[in-house]
Amino acid sequence: MLVLDHIGKTYPNGVHALGGVSLEVELGEIVAVIGGSGCGKSTLLRAIAGLDPASEGTVILDGERIAAPHEKIGIIFQEPRLLPWLKVADNVGFGLNHRPKSERAERVAVALRRVGLADKASVWPRELSGGQAQRVAIARALVPRPEVLLLDEPFSALDAFTRTDLQDHLLDLWADAKPTLIVVTHDVDEAIVLADRIMVMCPRPGRIFDEIGVDLPRPRDRQSAAFDFVKRRVLAALDRSLNRAPAGVEDEQTAEAGAAMWW
Amino acid sequence: MTLAAEGSPAQERSAASRRARFIRPALGLIVPVTLALAWEVIVRLGWASGRLAPPPSVIFQTFADLARTGELQRDTLVTLGRVAAGFALGAATGTVVGAVTGYSALLRRLLDPSLQGLRAIPSIAWIPLFILWLGIFEASKVTLIAVGVFFPVYLGVMGAIQSVDRKLVEVGRAFRLSDFEMVRRILLPAVLPAYVISLRSGLGLGWMFVVAAELMGASEGLGYLLIDGQQLGKPAEIIAAIVAFAIVGKATDWLIALAAAPFLRWEDVVRHE
Repeated sequence: MLVLDHIGKTYPNGVHALGGVSLEVELGEIVAVIGGSGCGKSTLLRAIAGLDPASEGTVILDGERIAAPHEKIGIIFQEPRLLPWLKVADNVGFGLNHRPKSERAERVAVALRRVGLADKASVWPRELSGGQAQRVAIARALVPRPEVLLLDEPFSALDAFTRTDLQDHLLDLWADAKPTLIVVTHDVDEAIVLADRIMVMCPRPGRIFDEIGVDLPRPRDRQSAAFDFVKRRVLAALDRSLNRAPAGVEDEQTAEAGAAMWW
Repeated sequence: MTLAAEGSPAQERSAASRRARFIRPALGLIVPVTLALAWEVIVRLGWASGRLAPPPSVIFQTFADLARTGELQRDTLVTLGRVAAGFALGAATGTVVGAVTGYSALLRRLLDPSLQGLRAIPSIAWIPLFILWLGIFEASKVTLIAVGVFFPVYLGVMGAIQSVDRKLVEVGRAFRLSDFEMVRRILLPAVLPAYVISLRSGLGLGWMFVVAAELMGASEGLGYLLIDGQQLGKPAEIIAAIVAFAIVGKATDWLIALAAAPFLRWEDVVRHE
C-alpha cells in the first residue's frame, strides 16, 4: 500500500506548491489526479517518485519511507524521454542492466510484443512516431515490474485518436500485473476512462479538493450516460476548485466544450 | 514476406546509392582538375613561364623527387609526430578541464574567466615566450600546438556537458543510476557528438599551429620544407609541402570522423545524401 502522509512542498524560492496532501492507495488501484494548472499535481507525483522529495510529510510504500527513486516505483513522463543513442530494445531494457543478458533479452522481447512493437526492437528512437515512442516508454517503465507506476500527463502531447488508443492499451497492460497506477492528467475523459478514484486538486497551495469515485465497469464506454454523469461531477468539482461560480446551464455548455482539454 | 515483396526496389535503390557514392565526390573534382589541366596547357604552350606558379606536372615531379630521397616521408612523419603529441596533450587537458568546468558551477566561475582571457590572446603571440621558456626544439612547438588544440576542445566539452538534456538525466535518476553509471550511460553518450566536433576543430587548429611553429625555426618537418622552398626559390617545393599538409590534415580529420561514426549512428540529423 502507498501512503502519502501530509505531503507538502515549498521550493527554495519560497513558492508553496503543495500543502499537506494525504492519500492512501491500495495495491492495484488506479488513481487519477486532476486539477487546474499550478495546483501541484506534478509536484506531488515527483515527490512520490523521489525525484523531488517533499519538504514536509512522508511517502511510505509498504512500510518503507521513500525519499529517493525506488525500484518498486516507475515513472512515465509527458515526453517519452527515450535515450536517442540506444536502440528501442536497449531503451526498454534500460532498467534491467544488472540482470543477466538472457533474462534481459527475454523480458524486453515480451514487453515489446506486449506494446505491439516487436518489429521495432532494433530501430533508433528517432524512427518512431510519437505514439510508438510513448509505448516504448511505457514498456521501459513496466519491464522492471514496478509495484507503483506514476504517469505524468503521459498522453497529453499526442493527438486525440492516439490518446484514446493508448489509454485502452495502458489498461490492457495494467491488467497483466495490476500495479498501482497514479495518473496525473488535465483531461477529464482520460481520468474517467482510467481511474477507480479521481482526486481533484486545487491551487495555492496545492491540495486535494474533492475525491470522486468512478464505479463504472471496464471497459468504459466514453459515450454512455453513466460516463457523462461522472464527467459532469468532475467538471463541477473542477469549477468549484478554481473558485468559479457554480456551473449554470449555460456555463455547463461552455465547460463541456473545453472539457477534453482542461488546463 | 513484406521483405521479399520490397526486395527488388530496395536492391535498385541500393545500387543507385552505390553509384551515387562514387559520382558525388567526383563532382567536387571537376573544378580543381579542370583548372590544373588548363594551367598545365597554358604553361606547355608557352603562354606563361610557370616559374613562380609551376604547373601540376612540375609539382608532381617535385613531389616524386622528395619522396624518392625520403625527405618527404621524414618531414611528414616529423610534423605528424608534433601534431600528434600536441593534439594528445591539448585534447586531454581540454577534455578534463572542460568536463570539470561543465560539471561544477564553482569551478566554472573560478576557471572560465581566466581561460577565456587567455583564449583572447592570438596563440602565435606565445611563440617568443615559449621559446624562452622551453627552448627552440620540440617542447616549445608541441606546447604551442597543444595550446591551439586546447581551446576548441575545452569550449566544446564544457558547452556539451552544460547542455545535456536535464530530462534524460532525470531518466537516469529514476532508474537509480550511480554517479559513475550516470556518466557512462547518460552524460558520455549525450556529449559525444559535440565532443567529436570539438576534437575535429581542435585538430584543425593543431595543423595550423604546427605550421606556425615550424616556420619559426625548424630543421625538418613540412613547415621547414615551406621555408626551404622560399629561401631557395623553389615554388614547386612549397606547393608540394602545401599539398602534403592538405593530404595529411584531411586524412587525420577523416580518421577521427571514421572512428566516431559507429558511435554516432543514432543522431537525428538532416542528412543531405
